[in-house]
Amino acid sequence: MRRRSLFAPVRHALLLGWLAVTLFPIYWMLMTSFKHPAEWVTWPPRWLPHEPTLDNYVKVLTPGTSTFELGRQTLKILKPLWDSLLVASVGALVAVALGSAVAYSWSRFRTGGRNYPYNILSIRMVPPIVIAVPFVVYFVTLRLLDTYTGLILVYVATCLPYVIWMMLGFIDEVPLELERAARLMGASRLRVLGSVVLPLTASGLVVTFLFVFILNWSELLLALALTNTEVSTIPIQLNKFQSANEGRDYGPQAAIGTIATLPVVVLGFLIQKHLLRGFSFGLLRK
Amino acid sequence: MTPGTTAARRGVLRWIERERVFKWLPFVPVQGLFTLLLLPNFLLLVYLSFVSWRITRGAWWDAAFAGLDTFRGALEDERFRWAVIRTFGFAAAAVPLELLLGFGLALLCRRHFRGRRIYTTVFLLPMMIVPAVVGYDLSMLLIDQGPFNQLLSLLTGRTITVRWLSDYTAAQLAVIGADVWQWTALTFLVFTAGMAGLPEEPIRAARVMGASRWQVFWHVELPLLKPVIAIAVILRSMEALKIFDYPMLLTQGGPGNATETVAVYLWRVGWEFARVSDAAAMSLILLLVVAMYIVVAIRVLRRERRRLAEEGLA
Repeated sequence: MRRRSLFAPVRHALLLGWLAVTLFPIYWMLMTSFKHPAEWVTWPPRWLPHEPTLDNYVKVLTPGTSTFELGRQTLKILKPLWDSLLVASVGALVAVALGSAVAYSWSRFRTGGRNYPYNILSIRMVPPIVIAVPFVVYFVTLRLLDTYTGLILVYVATCLPYVIWMMLGFIDEVPLELERAARLMGASRLRVLGSVVLPLTASGLVVTFLFVFILNWSELLLALALTNTEVSTIPIQLNKFQSANEGRDYGPQAAIGTIATLPVVVLGFLIQKHLLRGFSFGLLRK
Repeated sequence: MTPGTTAARRGVLRWIERERVFKWLPFVPVQGLFTLLLLPNFLLLVYLSFVSWRITRGAWWDAAFAGLDTFRGALEDERFRWAVIRTFGFAAAAVPLELLLGFGLALLCRRHFRGRRIYTTVFLLPMMIVPAVVGYDLSMLLIDQGPFNQLLSLLTGRTITVRWLSDYTAAQLAVIGADVWQWTALTFLVFTAGMAGLPEEPIRAARVMGASRWQVFWHVELPLLKPVIAIAVILRSMEALKIFDYPMLLTQGGPGNATETVAVYLWRVGWEFARVSDAAAMSLILLLVVAMYIVVAIRVLRRERRRLAEEGLA
């Protein structure tokens, strides 16, 4: 076709443009994390570190003395990393366990009425800042503020709508005939669940888990509101940094940013094909 | 195991096997959690907004009744009003940009060509990055003598010194830019999947009947993409109203109040100023505004889903 020969270079030019926009901030953070202080801000900009160094990583990750002074604040990185991992994964795990059971029940029996998934979803649409204020008062009263239990409970609740919607998609793909056949052959409901439904939705469960794990790992506002000194996640730590210094220690900052990003990007690519399920609410043709 | 416990176990199993029990059992913890977490919270929100209480003033249950005073204060608070307007403004600027960019990029990547996988993989990257890290990363790029200005200078051949984080308008652009940078990835993903799922028959039929490429796109494909567009609009506008991470990490709401979104302002009122009751009243007002929006969004979602189900394709 005549048109295509003209179109191809234009397309590549446009796509390359956005590619550059996308990669520049990521590239710069990655490179800065390997730079010596003298190269953090230079003119002309230095695209590659002259002598790559791991100092920044060592500085933020050294155990025991994993603190370093920044402005007035002393910041630790290992503890928030651990806290993030704990809170995000336990929250995701509990949400997947509870939510997938609800999804199965709704898929097969329409338990809770036709509108149940929509009602759940509308709860999720409320901006978290709306409930943040009373949440603090409530959690102080219950002595749940600044505890792992408190934050995990909140994350379970915020994950549940996503889990239910994602798992509905996976469960609807399990052929009903298989379940019926198993029932006819005398299998109990639990047996059907364990031997038919579970194996067929196993990958869906993993994908859903990873998806809500990423959501929890990234969450800032509620974590900021519901923790204080005992529990601290990575996003909170980044926020503390930002208000404590005026952005002087770029190297360690970039190292922390890279550390916080890396696991999520890896997980994201693992579930790339299914990433959309979490966002499409059953509105995509397959 | 003693015979007694096996019998008890069998009894429990039989109890679970009853349809009524089996289908309602999973709802007990889930609804329990929602009820225990959200209901008291909502009641507390309403209560707090009708009393005048600050963290420093004794126990919250002893607070003095204030009637509608806090609401009047909230509605008269110009900073609150502007924060709401600003948030909608940011959403109105960022969301259409994200939709257009995502749609355009998805169109460009629609058919197979060399390098397509690389593009699509990279374009998805931003949405996997922690939003706080995005804010943090950009705050490093956007300093006055920073890499971004340097890059602009190199590209234009002139010395560019836009003060991205301390100039009123530039800072607003920076926040909008952060949102667009990160979430165009999502609209791109949604539209790519939507285009991949387009049924081939109506498109081929239209082509056979002599429709031009443009006519097919406008009259056949675009209507078929309606549900996908609906998802993208709902998802993005919903999230854009929650903008919190970028202004917090980029500018802490500043300079002045330039990037103070509702979420940031409420954060200030509740935490920095410790005016809990005022924050609660404002939260309640915000909830009312958002509730109308949610009702519309859910209705659209349901309509589109029903339509898909009728087509038998969902």
